[in-house]
This record gives sequence, C-alpha cells and structure tokens, in this order.
Amino acid sequence: MSGKAIIEILGGLANVVIVLIVAPFFEGVLRKLTARIQSRQGPPLWQPYYDLLKLLGKEDIESGESPPMQRFAVYLSFAAIMTVACLVPFGSHAPANGIGDVLVLIYLLTLCGIATMLAGLAAGSTYSLIGMNREMMSLITLEPLLVVAMVIGAIHVHSFRLDQVLAGSVYAAAGFPWSGLIMLGVMLISFQAFVQRVPFDIAEAETEIMEGPLMEYSGPKLALFKYVQMAKLVIYSALFVALFIPWGHTGLYPLDVLIHLAKCLVMVLGVTWVAATHARYRMDQAIRYYALLVGISVIALGMAVYGY
Amino acid sequence: MSPEHAMVAAMLLCGLGALLTGWVASRRTLAGWIAFGCVAGSSLLTFHAVARVLLYGPGKAFTFLTVPQMGFALRLYVDGLSAIFLGLIATVALPAALYSIAYLDHYRAYSVRRYYPNFLLFIAAMYGLVSTTDMMYFFFIFWQMMTLTGYALIRYEHDKPENLHAANKYLAMMQIACAATMIGAGMLAAKGVTGAVNSAHLIYDFDTVSEHLPLLLREHPIQVAVAFALFLVGFGIKLGTWPFGQIWLPDAHPAAPSPVSALLSGVMIKTGVYGLMRYFLWLVPPEAKADYPMAMWGAIIAVLGTITLFVGTTQALRQHQTKRLLAFSSIGQGGYILLGLGACLCLLASSDARLTNLAAFGLYGALFHTINHGLFKSLLFLNAGSILHATGTQDMNKLGGLMKHMPFTAITALIGSLSIAGVPLFNGFASKWCIYVATLQADGAARFLPICAVVAIFTSAITLALFMKFFGVSFLSRTSSLVAAQAARQPSLEVGWMMRLPQLVLATLCVGLGLFPMVALSIIHHALQASQQGFGTVLAKSTPVTWGLWRGAQGLGGNAVLAPVALVMVVGLLIVLARALTKLGGAQRRQTVPWLCGYARETYQNRYHADHFYGALKRYFHWLGGAPAKPQRPAPVAQTPSPPVNPA
Repeated sequence: MSGKAIIEILGGLANVVIVLIVAPFFEGVLRKLTARIQSRQGPPLWQPYYDLLKLLGKEDIESGESPPMQRFAVYLSFAAIMTVACLVPFGSHAPANGIGDVLVLIYLLTLCGIATMLAGLAAGSTYSLIGMNREMMSLITLEPLLVVAMVIGAIHVHSFRLDQVLAGSVYAAAGFPWSGLIMLGVMLISFQAFVQRVPFDIAEAETEIMEGPLMEYSGPKLALFKYVQMAKLVIYSALFVALFIPWGHTGLYPLDVLIHLAKCLVMVLGVTWVAATHARYRMDQAIRYYALLVGISVIALGMAVYGY
Repeated sequence: MSPEHAMVAAMLLCGLGALLTGWVASRRTLAGWIAFGCVAGSSLLTFHAVARVLLYGPGKAFTFLTVPQMGFALRLYVDGLSAIFLGLIATVALPAALYSIAYLDHYRAYSVRRYYPNFLLFIAAMYGLVSTTDMMYFFFIFWQMMTLTGYALIRYEHDKPENLHAANKYLAMMQIACAATMIGAGMLAAKGVTGAVNSAHLIYDFDTVSEHLPLLLREHPIQVAVAFALFLVGFGIKLGTWPFGQIWLPDAHPAAPSPVSALLSGVMIKTGVYGLMRYFLWLVPPEAKADYPMAMWGAIIAVLGTITLFVGTTQALRQHQTKRLLAFSSIGQGGYILLGLGACLCLLASSDARLTNLAAFGLYGALFHTINHGLFKSLLFLNAGSILHATGTQDMNKLGGLMKHMPFTAITALIGSLSIAGVPLFNGFASKWCIYVATLQADGAARFLPICAVVAIFTSAITLALFMKFFGVSFLSRTSSLVAAQAARQPSLEVGWMMRLPQLVLATLCVGLGLFPMVALSIIHHALQASQQGFGTVLAKSTPVTWGLWRGAQGLGGNAVLAPVALVMVVGLLIVLARALTKLGGAQRRQTVPWLCGYARETYQNRYHADHFYGALKRYFHWLGGAPAKPQRPAPVAQTPSPPVNPA
C-alpha cells in the first residue's frame, strides 16, 4: 500500500471522527440559540450528547412491517453520511480522492436520502409513507441545485476530482465568475432545505406527521437517525464552505480544521436564526420555490459553459 | 469454429428447438426443458463466438445462400460491436428461458405450442439481425422474423382484448420501422455501384454501401440526409424513442408474459441501439467527415435522447401497474443510451484530441448502459413476473408487505431497483457516470451537452422515486388485504427455485458489474479494437478510461474517478461501525404491532396507495401525458372491514 493511500485513509478517518465529535455540539448550539431567540432558557450545550447516549440504551421496539429492512436502513443511513464525511474537505483539501469524484459524492448524498426513505417504507405506517414521499419529492427538486453548483466548478477546472472542485472552484471561471456568484446566492437561500430544518423540514414535520419516516423507530435506531441528522448539518455546512468560502487557509492542519469548523458554525447560526423565526412551508409551496431556484441555476450553468 | 459459423449453428439450433418444442408441446414441462436446452446450447455457441472476437479479433465475413441476380446473399460478420449485443442477447435469453418453464404454469388455458417455438425463433432472429451485413433482404427477413414471433408472444394471452390491441399496435409500428429503414438503405444503394468492390453484386451489403458513401455524400448530401433521418425514425421506433415509443411500448410490454417482457425490454429494443450505432458511426468512413454533418446528427440524437429520458421517466411516475411502470421506464433508459451516442457523435465532429477522447467515453457509456439496462430491466420484469405469479395482480394499489412472504424476490428486486436508479456500487451508476463525464465536460460545438446532462441527473432522481415506489409499495409498506389473503391460502408465496435462480443470476451480474465496472469497460475496449470500420477506427484509437482493481475506473487522465471496490470497503466498514453503535447500550429488542390509537382499522380506502405517491410533483408533469392504463379507482373492496390491526 502506497503512502498516498495511507494518507487518504487517515484523512478520511480524521473527518469521520471530527464529524462524530462535533455534530452533537453544533446541535446543542442550535437548540440553545433557538431557545434564546424564543425567550427560553434552553438546554445545556451538551444535551444532545446525553440524548444520544440515553437513546442508545433504551428499548428497541420494532413495530414496522419488515424489521430486517428497518435495521438495514438505519445502518445504511449512518454509513452513507459518514462516507460522505470521508469525501468532504475539513480544513485541508478533500482527503479521499481515490474512491470517487464529485459525481460519486452527489450520488452518495442521494444514498443518505434513500436510506431514510427505505426506513419510512419499511415502517409502513401512513405517516411514514407521507414523510417518505415528501423526502423523495424534495430530493428530486433540490438535487439539481447542488449538482449545478458542483458541475459549474467541475467545468471551470476541467476536472471532477474532489480536491480540485471542492476548493472554491466555482469562482475559477475564465471570465468574471457570474455563474459562481449566482450559485452562491441560490445555495444560500436553499441551504435550509438541504439540512432539512424549518421552514423546509417538511418530510419530518414533527408537529404534523410526527417525524414521518422516523415515526416507528426508537432506542438505538432513533439514536443513529438523530446522529445522522446532526451530521448532515455539519457535512452540508462543510460542503458549502469548501465550495463557496474557501479562503483563509494557514497551511497548519489543526488550525485549518478549526477555521473550517468556525465557518461551519457561522452557517449553523444562520440556519438556526432562519429556523427559529419561520413557519413550515407546505410541500407544494416548497416545490414551487425550488423550481424557481432550479430555473436560475440552469441559467448559471449556461453561463458557466461559456466561461463566465 | 469461426464466430460466424458459431452464430449460424446457434440460429440453426434455435430453429431445431422450435420444431421440437412444437412437436412435444402437449407435454408442457418437457417442451420447456427442450427450449431451455436449445437456448443454453445457442448461448454457449454465442459466448464462444463473442470470446473469439474479443480475444483474437474479428475473422472474415462468411457468405452463403448467394443469389447474384438479385444482389442477395446471407453474409454474416461478427465484429466487436455485434459481439457486445450478441453477448447481451445470450446472457438475458438464458435466465428468461429457465424462468419460462415454471412461469407458464400460470397460463394453463393456453398451449405452449404458441410459446416456445416463437420464443426460440425470436432469439434466433435477434442473433441474425445483429450479425448480418445485408441492409436490405436479410435485414428484412430477420426483422420480420423478430417482429412476427414477437407479435405472437405479445398476444399469447389472447383472450384479453387489450393484449390483442397491444400486439396489433406493436406489429403496425414495427412494419413502419421496417419500411423506413429499408427505404433508407435503398436510397443509399440505389445509385448504382461504380467502385470496384470485391462483392460488387451485393449492392445492399454494408461494406459496399460504406465504400460508396463518401461519393454519395459529396454528390447527393440531401439524399443521404433523408436516408439517415429514416434510419433514425426506424431504429428510434424500435428503441422506443419519444414520441414513437409511447405509441407501442407501454402497451406491448405488460401484455406479454413476463419472461418475454424481459426479452423485449432487455434485448429486443436494444437492436434499435445497435442499428443506430452501426449506421451512424460505423457506416460512414472517416475520410468523408467533411461532408458528413456529424455534429448535427449528434445534436439531434442527444436532444432526442434527453427528451426521451425525461418524458419516459416522468410518465412512468404516474403508473400504478408494475409492468407498465417498467415499460415506461424502459423508454426513459433508452434516452440515456441515446444521449451517450449523441454526445459521441457531437464530440467526434471536432478533431480536438481531448474531445475525441470524451466522444469515446460517451460511446463507452452508451454501450455500458445498453448492457446494464439489459440486465437490470430483465431482472425487474422477472421480479414483476414473480409478484404476478404469487399474487395474481399487476396493480400496485393492491400490493404491500410482500417482503415478509417472498424475501428472495424482494432482495433481488431491491438490487434491480438500486441499479436502475444509479446508486453507486451498482452497475447503473457506473454507466451513467461515463455518460455524465462525457457530456458535462463537453466543449466547442457541443456546449449544450452539460444542460442535457443536468436534465439526465435530474431524471435519475425521478427514476429513483419511481423505483422507491415500485419496490417500496410492493415489498415494504403495510401488508395489503390481497397479500394477506393470498398468504393465508398457500404455505409460502415465494416462487420456486426455477424462477428464483434466473433472478439471482441477473442480480449477481448487476452487483458484479457495479463493483467491477472495469470488466465491462475492458470488454467494450476490446470490442472497439475488434470493429475497425468507419468511425470505429477513430474510436478504437482513443483510450478514454483506464482501470485497476483498487483505483477503479479513471477518466480524463485521472480527473474523473470511480473506485467501487474501495468505496464498498468504506461503506461496509461504516455499516459494521453503525451496527456496533446500536449494540453499545445493550438495548433490548422487541417486535410488536404499531400503535394506531387503539381504534384504527385499515381498509382499502384509508391505505396510502401507489396512486397517492408523489402527488404534489405529478401535478406539475400532468401535461406530459402517459395516463395509467385503467381507471384509477377500482370499486371499493372493503365491504367487510378487516379485523382491527391492534389487539387492544
């Protein structure tokens, strides 16, 4: 095994560890800030860690129709999001270039959605099915935005390699980077939807369909799903930062990680602020909103093809 | 044995099998085994021919049955391109033939005399069609043989009027396609041969036409353009391209017995792909490039492919019958193949080395997707056949919870669904990856291709939705009253091993090619090396993709990477980690029925049906048409309420 492969493996491993450690903390920040915005005291910052540990020991009631598939869906969900964590840069350049490119990354993100949907389908209750449907519909309409953002970068640098694309490549146009700036705007106003927080938490919608796909899950399975949700927030933030806010590298790995995480935290604060001050959209309203953004992003793609 | 002799022997074996099975048709199982034996024998012969061509290069064309007065000879030639399609036919025919034996028990009222002979001749005709070089007479003979036997197979269950209607539509469309293609061939050959071709009397022979074409392109470009347009229409009808495919394909596929649907969708429509590739790329010599409006044809095919993939897949979203859904999705998947081929033509038009490399990548993608679609779509049709066999219905509104009762079929169906949806680690992703890489980096005159690619990626998510619905509604979700009733009647709903084995083989191939795409890529590479004619010579020179076990497939000089083996290790390790995490707290596991507030009874009316899926999205695509086959809401069945779900 070559030295390069070992560095790739270690880098991926480091990313997984970072995400696993940091994700509940970010969730804690989110909860605390939400509470403060709503004039509440809020839980301690460490509460999500306690929640996860407690859930891991609770009774695991399998009330769905196909328990084996339910178990598989949980494992797949965790594995898919952590594989994505291996591919996304945290601080240094993207570590695991050898296992896939940007196209693989896009489809691995889809795989996370597939796992949630299988979970909902395997549970089989009507609420789960409604939630799974909404998850699928938002995936269909949201995916093109992320695809266009990454593809624009890939077109600019003539490469699909993760370390080249996930390094602010959207601005690497031959002319003035109009397409990159348009996509920055589009991704900013759709970021809430990617991390599935209010007003776009339509698939889970706790107050309406009781967490949809996750409804029939409890104990360790629920813990893993919650962990995945927290990890999604961190990973999408990291992806956004790598693609659109690449500046400020010092060359010192631990410091770079901290800088990167600080940028991610800013994203999380933004998400929290929007989530705490908005009400949930209906599915059809959300689709109309996404469709408009898809239209804009296709225009951006057209500009990117012509070197802007 | 030379490849050409092997193919003649394979066809004769199928013909012999047709006679034999017709003779012993009163003994259904025996006839089935004879048919399977003949298919197995002919498949072995075909594999032999394919292996020879790929390993040692093509031999010489083999001519017999010459009638010089009419410019008529059966001339067979197996080169690399033919070999890929022959291999695919042989690979899919084998499981389909085995599956038929047990599946036909379903049709006790119909004699197998109208099944096996037609089935065998159908396969023989496809072998002939992709290996003959005669663009007129033998093309006609094989095409008609394929069409007529296909017609008989589609109307096999002839007591249902809708099946007769579907078969008639199929027949009519195939005749139009046949006429279009033959008129096109006639226009290319009609001008008398002036060149000194060694087989000068064969004016409709592929090689003669190819030699004559540069002159014709220079002197009569309009005539050639019309001929090529006719080819596009003819083979487009066969492939099910929008708008032609919607006319016949969604009716014909569900009407046929499932193993035949598997062949129709997995293999037969691929002869259209073969025709398009052969005529648009291999027929034109590269010297005639200046006169051949290649970029225009490429643009037309790529845009047609994009429309086809989007429209076909979106229409499939509205379906609630298993096989009809699969049929519409076949139209959509054909669009991906067209997109790859169109991109290849477009990019090849420029002489830039980088773009030529991308063009070859596009063709790799198109060929790879052809193979993959043949595998996973026939698997899915066999799955749908197993569901039909077990429950007696194609209507997904009445299905649910089959995973408990038929776990084997469920797992293979999941593999098929994930493959077609393009999930990494499955074969569908690898071929789509090739097509995306080729189209997204397109430059020069082909600048519209990235937009097509984004539409294709968007459609790939719709495909996922489609197959989440197909798999989820049938095998997961809540057990329906129909499934519960069927399960109470029989000890096990799962199909027998003779129907399980074909599904297993196809599912294994899907996973295998997903994990090791280099196998398929290397086959395609060898095939292109072994078909040096027309633009095939240009494509054979470029090596767009390199591969290795650990580093996977790499394109664009290492700028596009897909390493499924490394990826599966990562995902596998993380699944193990996830499992360990759930065991960490020592939580007890308990299975119970869900709590429905103590009073809810589940009836047909308050179930969440296949029809209800993706309502908010389907509304936006209503204008695309493709209405489901029957009135959506059947008469309420739940006159007697089912027992309460909760024991409380």
